[in-house]
Order: sequence, then C-alpha cells, then structure tokens
Amino acid sequence: MMFGKSFPFYNSLGGFYPQSLDTRKPPGTGYTSKVRVRDRYHIVGFISSGTYGRVYKALGKNGQKGEFAIKKFKPDKEGEIVQYTGLSQSAIREMALCSELDHPNVVQLAEIILEDKCIFMVFEYTEHDLLQIIHHHTQPQRHAIPALMVRSILFQLLNGLLYLHTNWVLHRDLKPANILVTSSGAIRIGDLGLARLFYKPLNSLFSGDKVVVTIWYRAPELLMGSRHYTPAVDLWAVGCIFAELLSLRPIFKGEEAKMDSKKTVPFQRNQMVKIIDIMGLPTKEIWPGLVSMPEYSQLQSLAMSRAPGHFNRSSNLEVWYQNCLKSNGYSANSSAGTPGADGFDLLSRLLEYDPTKRITAQEALEHPYFKNGGPISANCFEGFEGKYPHRRVTQDDNDIRSGSLPGTKRSGLPDDSLLGRATKRLKE
Amino acid sequence: MAANYWASTQRRHWLFSREKLAEIRENFRERDKVAHTQFPLPDQRLLNIYFSQRKRSELCPPLTMPTELIKLGKRMSTRQQALATAQVYVKRFYTKNEIRHTNPYLVVTTAFYLACKMEECPQHIRFVVGEARGLWPEFIAPDVSKLGECEFSLISEMNSQLIVHHPYRTLSELQPELSLTSDEVALAWSVINDHYLTDLPLLYPPHVIAVMAIIVAVVFKPSQTSFHGSAAPLASAMRDGGMNILAALGDKNGNGPPPRIQRLIAWLAESEVDIKAVIECTQELVSLYEVWEQYSEKHCKELLGRMVKSKNLDK
Repeated sequence: MMFGKSFPFYNSLGGFYPQSLDTRKPPGTGYTSKVRVRDRYHIVGFISSGTYGRVYKALGKNGQKGEFAIKKFKPDKEGEIVQYTGLSQSAIREMALCSELDHPNVVQLAEIILEDKCIFMVFEYTEHDLLQIIHHHTQPQRHAIPALMVRSILFQLLNGLLYLHTNWVLHRDLKPANILVTSSGAIRIGDLGLARLFYKPLNSLFSGDKVVVTIWYRAPELLMGSRHYTPAVDLWAVGCIFAELLSLRPIFKGEEAKMDSKKTVPFQRNQMVKIIDIMGLPTKEIWPGLVSMPEYSQLQSLAMSRAPGHFNRSSNLEVWYQNCLKSNGYSANSSAGTPGADGFDLLSRLLEYDPTKRITAQEALEHPYFKNGGPISANCFEGFEGKYPHRRVTQDDNDIRSGSLPGTKRSGLPDDSLLGRATKRLKE
Repeated sequence: MAANYWASTQRRHWLFSREKLAEIRENFRERDKVAHTQFPLPDQRLLNIYFSQRKRSELCPPLTMPTELIKLGKRMSTRQQALATAQVYVKRFYTKNEIRHTNPYLVVTTAFYLACKMEECPQHIRFVVGEARGLWPEFIAPDVSKLGECEFSLISEMNSQLIVHHPYRTLSELQPELSLTSDEVALAWSVINDHYLTDLPLLYPPHVIAVMAIIVAVVFKPSQTSFHGSAAPLASAMRDGGMNILAALGDKNGNGPPPRIQRLIAWLAESEVDIKAVIECTQELVSLYEVWEQYSEKHCKELLGRMVKSKNLDK
C-alpha cells in the first residue's frame, strides 16, 4: 500500500513536514518517514540504555535550537534483519500519553519520529535526575541535600503527579532515576512507559502488567497482591523518594524475589520485611482491607515465623526520621534548615499502610509542610551554592541508527516481544 | 490531557467543520481524478457498514444479554470500545490519505490491532492477522510485517495522538442523573455504536453525541414493532420526532410532550449543551438509516476488490 501524499500537514511541533520527502519511494512499497532523525538532530553522545532501548543526547539542526534527549525504542530483529513486528504496548502508551500531556512538571515531548522500523521519541534534554543528585550528596562524604531544595523538589513532584492523577494517568514507576531535573531546577516526571489510564479500565489493572513499580518503591498493597490498585501506589513511591532525599539511602531496600519458571508472581517477603521493620506490622485495625488481600496468608505466616514481639506493632518511623535528621545534620529547630515536624507528618501520611487513607497528591500539596515556612521556589536549586555534575554523555556509541543492547522484559504483555528480546549488536 | 476532553488532542486536532471535511475530500478528488473515475466507491457510510460487518438486525437494541452489563454502567465488552476507537482511527487516517491509494482491508485491520493496545486489551499481531485473513483472505497477506508497517503509517498520520474520547462515558455518567431505564441506555448505546458509521465522530464532541443518543432513546423510544427488521420506520419516526422536540423546545409552557420528556428537555435547557448541534446529529443519524436501505455487501465487496486488485494495493 502507499501512503504518498501531496499536501503538507502539521507535525506535532506545529511545523510543516516538508513535501519533497514524500516521493522518496514509489507507490505500493509501504511506510516512509516524512522526517528523518538525522536531518533534524545532531547526535552528540549516548546517555543510557534500558529495557526499552537507548537514550541519546542531541542538538537541534537546521535552525532548530536547543538540546534534546532522544529515546530510541529497540526494534525487533529476526536474525540480523530488522522486521516490523508490531509495537510494544508500553511504547504505544508512552507515545500516546506524552502526546496528550502538557504540564511544567511532566517531561516535555518535542516530537516522535517513526523511521527505519524504529521509534524515536524526542524529549527536551534534562541535565540532572534525582538519582544522580542523591548520589552526588554521598560523594566524597555524605552531605545533606538542603532542606529548601528537598521541599521544592517534593512540591514540584506532587504538582506533576496531581496533574497526572486528575487526568486519570497512573505513573506506576516513580523512583529517583525517573524524576528529571532541568539545569534551572524544574522537576519533570519522566518515563511514562508504565503509565496508563485508569478511568474505567476494560480489564482489571492487574491483568495487563503483573509487576509494576521498582521493588524499593512498591506500595504495600501491590506487595500484598492487590488487583485493583489506585493512584495511591504513586504516593507511596513519593513517600519513599521523600525519605531517600532526606537520608540519601533508599528507605526500604529489599531484595526482589524473582519470578519462578511458572511465571507466577512470588510474594515479596524480603521487601515486606524491610517495610515492617520501620513501619511496624500492618494490622486489620489500621488497614481493614488487609485481610482480603491475596497475600494475607503469606503475611500471617511471615509474622508467625518470627518470635513473638520480633516485629513491632507500632511504627518506628518517627525514630527513623529523627535519626535521619540528626545524622544528616539537619538542624533540630524548625527553621528553614530542617523539614521538621511538618515534614515528618507528611512523610507518615505518604507512607500510610491503608491505600484508602493514604494522602492524595491534592491533599499533600496543601499540607503544612508546604504551607508553613515561606514561599516555594519553582527552581529547586535557588540559594544553593554547590554545583551538580553534568549528565554523563559518552561517545562509545553515537550511531543512533544501529545501537541496541540486551535488556530484560519489562512486563508480561503478549506484544512486548519488541522490548523483551535480547538482541545482538548490529553494526551497519 | 487524557481525561479532559477540552484540552485533548481530539478537540484540538481532530475536530473538523463540515466545510473543512468536504474540502479535504474535494482535494483528494481533484488530485487524482483518474482514480476517482476509474474506481467509483460506494458512499463512505456504506463502506463503514461493510467493514464493521454489521447486519441490519443489529439495529435492534441489545435487550437480552448486554443490558445486564450496561446496567452496571461500568463494563462493556472490550472489543466494543476497541472497535469504536479503531473506527475513529480509520476516519482520521482517511482525512490524510486518499482511500484509493491504500488497501482499506489492511488499514481497518491495523486500526483494530492498534486500538486494542490503546484500550488495554492487546491482541497478538498474529491473532489479529489470522482473524482478518478469516474474513478477507484475498486481501490480507499472511505476513505480519505488513500490518506492523501499516501501524507505523497510522501512528505517523495521527501524530501519535491515539487517545480517543467516546460518548459511552458521558452516557454512563448521565444515566443516574436522567434516571434512564436500562432499555433506554441499551438503545442509546446502540445509537452510539451506529454513529461511528458516519462522520459524526469527526464533527462533534462526544458529549453532544451522547445527548443525541439519549434523546433518540427517550423521545422516540422506538417500540419493538417499529424497530425490528428495518431502519426505515425509525428514520421516519425520528424525522417526525425531531419536529416534536423542536416544537417542545420552542413552546416551554405548552401542553406538549409527556412529563418524562419534559424533564429531559428541562435538563437540556439547563445543561448548556448545544441543542442545534444535537439536532444536526439526529439528522445525520436519520440520513444514515436511510442510506442503509441501499446497503449491499456484494456491491461494496466488488468495487473494493476491483480497486485493490487492479492497483495491486494488497501487495
């Protein structure tokens, strides 16, 4: 079939696709991209690779200004020949959501180019991310992230999340590495590869992707096997991120139990223990829905396996918090130098066991932690003297057209073969 | 935005005026007059009927099985919403491409495959190709890469704007507010299904369509006798009914229609829904049911087959 056309139309950037490129192929031979990545961008270097593919840093070309991050989704290969095998559902979701969403605290899409059987999602370039910032504060020795910066980061993160949730989008993979920070201190929620709409889903949310959220940030209801989970899973992750910004370590650093050969999802016992160690053993008094959770019996046997009184019934979070403030040198009195008592209250509401009682993004934004203590800057670096290193951009693989690395399956969807297949490097 | 229709790409990029749509189609004709003369095609609505493989009997409201589901106001067959989304994709695609330059069988199949992923009920590409080959073996190649390639074209032509707002949601939201009976909801539901056979999804916002469907269901309440078998009685009932509702709207304190309909009219007046648009939608639907009378599966198949085969569009 042919998709040749002889009229110009607007691309996603609002510009015209050049007409002259349409005639590159004779009729009947199929898809030809109207724009080519290399005509529009100069690839400066390689940033990172993941399960989805690779990310490159690029500069705009031909009058187009600015820096960009180009996310290239892995093509599927049969042998050495790249084939059209249908796009993965997670690529489709990310493309559709990023095209629809528009908010200062959500990553900004410039355009999407489909070329040579690959998808290139072109995003604005962000110089930092929270993982890198947290890491920087542990080097060469630990020095706390300034309290005002933590507050601005958290506010912007919740603001972006409120936007997603009011638009019925669950992010489902919030973690420091996915929270991007621009050089002017704006927070952008990134990587919507696992995000999806939750308005009256046709299938239960569980049926699509059996595993969501990186284990350390996974909410207790997910660990307990909940089928119909809610935006509250994202707020648990925000709680974990808040704790990590203060302590510079993941608060619940469990070990993931791998799926067995039958592809059944195991009970994440180790992760649950890490949570219980700080938050206390959840009970049906504080979390009435607990007893009807699929993994309730697992939790009971976990509690039985230890000596009585091994697990605290009540929460140790306040002890954890006070120790954290002390060891990171946040001042004890509630001035601008510390997240203080308000910070603790917000953290404990984010890390609420019962998802129905957990604070929402809207409520969190109105919390005294943000209301008290003066204005919040939209630039999280405001007043900060230090400098964060630039994002590492390497030169080992600048060929955007050929690079691909093995990866692991991200979710169990039938059409995710595109993402799942480990592929050999193919050099042109 | 995903939930907010007013900020959606659907409203910003995929809503056309009738004039604009006519102009787009006229441009296609102007640009390839030869193909248009050589390969005449049936009315687009008849092609839509052909591709959705619908029989006239389906015009009957689904009073038996699905009613129970609709009553819950929450669930629908996954296939139905994916089908609706796929139909919108096809319409959008053909505002950018002349149908005579494409293999419509492949476009329809690919739109369904893509819509299933978007509506969170993914089907494996091999399964979709298998289904399509079962229906149209002579037009769909067994090679899945054709479908994968066509997917690139669809996404590219739609600028990755794949989230579609449907009137079904408005209908279930209004059900309690207007205390619609399950029969009325079922009928409105099938009217919404029918509207995908027309240009209406490109012309009006989903809530206008939903209100139109509710009015058709409540005001005309086509009885079993008039609704079975043929669309013609419904069409004429709606034409007459359209006059009634116009009269009722103009004559607020007249003795006009029964209380139930009066309530609906009162709600309409308060709701700030564009009444004129609702009436235009009703007329579009009447016109669909009239053109449906001419539908011949054989005729559609012949004309499409001749076009696809002589232009080698399936290769």
